[in-house]
Amino acid sequence: MIRVRLYRVLMGSLGIAFFLFGMALIASFFLYQRPHSTPLVTTGPIGHYFVAFAGCALVGWSGGLVGAARDPWASRSIGTMTIFALVLMAVIRMVAWIIGDYYEFAGEALRGEVAAFLAIALALIWTKPTVAESCGEGESG
Amino acid sequence: MILRGLASLVVLGLFALNLLLPSAAVTARGPENRVRTDISSDLAVGRALPPLELRDFQGRVHTREDLLGHRVLLTFERSVDW
Repeated sequence: MIRVRLYRVLMGSLGIAFFLFGMALIASFFLYQRPHSTPLVTTGPIGHYFVAFAGCALVGWSGGLVGAARDPWASRSIGTMTIFALVLMAVIRMVAWIIGDYYEFAGEALRGEVAAFLAIALALIWTKPTVAESCGEGESG
Repeated sequence: MILRGLASLVVLGLFALNLLLPSAAVTARGPENRVRTDISSDLAVGRALPPLELRDFQGRVHTREDLLGHRVLLTFERSVDW
């Protein structure tokens, strides 16, 4: 089924991207700990603590995404929560666009990210296997 | 199918909001840092107040000339202007 194949490609691609981005965030935390280092993320010690936390969360999330790509019928809730998180991230970026501190840092890229996250969310909504499909797959498998 | 439709409506609504963000009433002033750059930042004790034109919440415009000759307390507050 082309729809489910597209869902698997999307989830798998997101999983790989999140894993790489998460590892980059974790690496930036460790690199920041070197004496006299220039931070890769323009923030201080507290900021880097949360950068590392976000990196670990992304790596964990990526595992779920790859699992859903491998078996989309058995891991429907990961798709649902990914859609929810993408929409939430879009809303956060819209608020960040309004508040100048973040606008100085990211500019109009914030609104570009909003469009990208919402487009992915919309694609996932319409390609995610339905409950009926999952039950059918469970019976046949 | 109904849930998918509802979820799509929410996402499309956010899409529209994102497109309208620069011109929507809630963000008519634009990002706060743009608002801040309207005002010269070389304020300092002992220096003359630069020309300014500030709009209050009632829409009245206040200029430097309106403030001259009075004791004035200017306070600046961070706000997203909801």
